[in-house]
Amino acid sequence: MTLEAFTGQALSGISVGMVLFLVAAGLSIIFGTLKVLNLAHGTIYMVGGFLCYLLTSKLVQIPGAFWWTLFIAPVAVAAIGGVIEVLLLRRIYAQEMLYQYILTFALILIIGDACKFFFGVSYKTVAVPWPVNGNVSLWGLSFPLYNLFLIGCGIFVFLALSALIRYTSLGRIVRAVTHNREMASALGINVPRVYTGVFMLGSYLAGLAGTLMPPMSVVALGSDMAVIIECFIIVVIGGLGSLPGAFLGAIILGLLNAFGIYIIPKLALAFPFMLMIVILIIRPWGLLGKPE
Amino acid sequence: MRNGWRMVIVMILAVAMTAVFAASSPAQEKKPIVVGFIHSMSGAMSMYGISSEAGGKIAIEEINAAGGVLGRPFKMITRDDKLNPEVGLREAKDLLLSEKADFLTGTISSAVALAISNYVKREKKLFIVTISQSSSITEENFHRYVFRINTNAVPYWGYAPAIALAKTKKAKKIISLGFDYETGKNSLKGFKEKYLQLVPDAKIIDELWAPLGTTDFTAYITKIANSGADAFFLACIYGGGELAFTKQAYAFGLYDKMYAIQPCAGDVETWSGVKKGEPYPKGALATARYPFWAIKGARNEAFVDKHLKMTGFWPSYGAMNQYVTMYAMKAAIEKAGGVDTEKIIDALEGMILDTFVGKIPIRAYDHQAMMPNWYGIIDFTQKLTFPHLIAAGVIGEEGYHTVDQIKKLRGK
Repeated sequence: MTLEAFTGQALSGISVGMVLFLVAAGLSIIFGTLKVLNLAHGTIYMVGGFLCYLLTSKLVQIPGAFWWTLFIAPVAVAAIGGVIEVLLLRRIYAQEMLYQYILTFALILIIGDACKFFFGVSYKTVAVPWPVNGNVSLWGLSFPLYNLFLIGCGIFVFLALSALIRYTSLGRIVRAVTHNREMASALGINVPRVYTGVFMLGSYLAGLAGTLMPPMSVVALGSDMAVIIECFIIVVIGGLGSLPGAFLGAIILGLLNAFGIYIIPKLALAFPFMLMIVILIIRPWGLLGKPE
Repeated sequence: MRNGWRMVIVMILAVAMTAVFAASSPAQEKKPIVVGFIHSMSGAMSMYGISSEAGGKIAIEEINAAGGVLGRPFKMITRDDKLNPEVGLREAKDLLLSEKADFLTGTISSAVALAISNYVKREKKLFIVTISQSSSITEENFHRYVFRINTNAVPYWGYAPAIALAKTKKAKKIISLGFDYETGKNSLKGFKEKYLQLVPDAKIIDELWAPLGTTDFTAYITKIANSGADAFFLACIYGGGELAFTKQAYAFGLYDKMYAIQPCAGDVETWSGVKKGEPYPKGALATARYPFWAIKGARNEAFVDKHLKMTGFWPSYGAMNQYVTMYAMKAAIEKAGGVDTEKIIDALEGMILDTFVGKIPIRAYDHQAMMPNWYGIIDFTQKLTFPHLIAAGVIGEEGYHTVDQIKKLRGK
């Protein structure tokens, strides 16, 4: 394996992984605090993609339309998440897990059809924004700048979120609610409000990933299912509910995929699942998760 | 109990009213010939349904304006199969039994087409497949009552790109990337089979498979770029996946680095939204089932204009097939002297269709029309706003399985 090929596979693996990290981090944070496995999380990511297309095409005369979009679209997705939490999810926390699955699965169908209704079935693309268009040369390999930008975004969000949870009073409140809901409530913390806030934060992350994706890919119906499956693999590997776990899991998944494709392409698709099975057997709570 | 009574009364009324209407409808002098049209009219594939319906309507308007078929007009009834075999089958039954359709045409989903095909086999009614690609309909699952006026998966996904490559670049080291499902696997199998037979010293050096629905191909692209191959072949990467792949491959400069064989890059339905300056499959070898810009003749131009007026978008290959099918049925009914299914089948077998895309025989053995596949290089010209195939040649019957190959397939 040449250095050029190694760099190519490593960087592309990590750049794929970083977008997935953003989605998986949202899924994981929501589960950690609310104990809800939101099956519609991938669909919320897809909404981010459609909003990215909608806003960049509406704001096309304004310079830096994509950067405005990157600011607005995830916030809009977070607002949608807030509405979902307040109107729907809040009613079923007391119920069995099964009801959560049915409700969030229904959301996949409803939101997916709503996207089809508003945006139609054709494929939508968004141009790569200045100044991250173009390529850089790394060890003889021409690599798109946008992919490096994605890697940067992933690392930045990881550090910012870790700091938020560890060092701010807001983070302390979230940790308290995560740790013991009743005790937090007894200490005067408004738990329902924390739940709404965390769900919005998780949705924001999915929306952010959804907004970052269209410049390098397409916005298409059905992209939600592909993403949510990969997110499940990531959180199983890293540990559901753990932010560093999601980060580590995403990098492992990305690299495993990239080097699997390079070395044994015929089996590449099976590697992530094989790793998932191994981890479920030897460490069911994930690499960085905590045993229940 | 009261509800039960009400139901019975409503039913009696309904039956009575149908009888009244049936009796009061004026005895028509010229009973129309009813064409059942089943297609996906809603959902992800509805563009093809709307386009194909327009193709049929254009042909019917022309035929009826010119005096119809044996003096009788064509009448087309459209039904939506929602891509669901059960719905498609129900609509097929309703078209034959309630609407008294004389024959059925359609549809894009192979599962729906096979379900309808099985049904017409029992009913001994004619079904003409105009857009579904599954070769099994006319090969393994063939019967007397099914025809196909359309290409199929064998030439489109595998043989035609192989023949085109053998006629042009003759690449020796090829790496493939496909969607990991049945059509993807069959596509590569067909390409390999034909290409290695035509260019025996060539080699497929690696096969990459991506899950169906993948939209981030970055890791596959870096692998392809460093594989040492001189060309890559996309096995059944189409639609949104193909757009995403192209965008990423373009960003990596893959099209400058090696030769691309990208069969679907000729599909106007995927590429018509891409403008100059945006990523496109630069210089890729592609095939197309209806490159309307490359076909000469007033009839073709008139058809494109009418389709554009009717739907607001460019005609798909499904529209052309449905148009050709209506004229084929006109010819067959005139030759048979009426709408007797058995006589129409005899007339269609071996018939040579005179279409605006050339003279096309319907092979009697498998009821498959030898619809052509065009091939060429993808680029921009002054003619159109989107990247399109600059046609270099046409592949006809040589792109299809031979009768001997089909005999073997059916023998299994």
